[in-house]
Amino acid sequence: MTNELTRPQSDQPPDQSEHTSIYATPSGPSPVERHVFTPPIDIFETPTGLVLRADLPGVSLDTLELQVQNNRLTLFGRVAPAAPDGSRLLHQEYHEGDYLRSFILSDNVDHESITAKLTNGVLEVFLPHAPEAEARRIQVSGS
Amino acid sequence: MAVFRWGHSWGHSIGDLEREVDRLLRGVTASFQGLRFGRQYPAINLYELDDEYLLTAELPGMSPEDLEVKIAGGVLTVSGSRQDDDHGSEHNFRRQERAHGSWQRSLSLPDRVRDDNLSAELTDGILRIRLPKAVEEKPRQIPVTSG
Repeated sequence: MTNELTRPQSDQPPDQSEHTSIYATPSGPSPVERHVFTPPIDIFETPTGLVLRADLPGVSLDTLELQVQNNRLTLFGRVAPAAPDGSRLLHQEYHEGDYLRSFILSDNVDHESITAKLTNGVLEVFLPHAPEAEARRIQVSGS
Repeated sequence: MAVFRWGHSWGHSIGDLEREVDRLLRGVTASFQGLRFGRQYPAINLYELDDEYLLTAELPGMSPEDLEVKIAGGVLTVSGSRQDDDHGSEHNFRRQERAHGSWQRSLSLPDRVRDDNLSAELTDGILRIRLPKAVEEKPRQIPVTSG
């Protein structure tokens, strides 16, 4: 396979272990500890491009950042606490945290035409094929 | 296949570094992870507030129409299904990490909850069920039974 696909930054499946990563927000005097999760994704192909879906429960339009820089698509979603201040946690089966994941885009993605929507905590990004994505013949010259 | 690994000029050393950073930042996947480990889906958190209990669950991709919240005989049952069937053939997948299908979870509610006055709300893939406390007593804890 030589055609480059949109692939996640890491080729490994998302971490299935229970350990949790912490990062410190770079701005602000005292670092705030938060969980950062790698959201599960699907990527599938359609005749006109690739569709990427990511589960981002708790992320709203206001708290989602999606950007393409160079060849990298990065999604970052912040999650506000589900319970109001002053509530007491009695039983916990999952941790709240933010979502971060980035992907290398292949050259045959039309970067200018990427669209995205967020519905019920699921982000869907459409990565259309670039028009010139056809195979190109490369001239090979002898020395 | 490491034939071209040594000495190539595609700037992959930067990529390797970034991958390493990503690995360091990686946390626990949410969502259907519990399924893989044989845990109940969805995972829930339970909070106590002054006059009510709050039960939360992560249900991305679920709309209120896909979701059913019932209460009968002191047992709260939440069920639903997530269908992602618009991707065409399974062969179209480059990557498939999100699970789909039907699920159900039941929880026994203690007597101290007024089960005639529950409310449920689904926002951005987070389900919140409010369980008002019975007026006469202010319990400190709800025993949660997984059934």
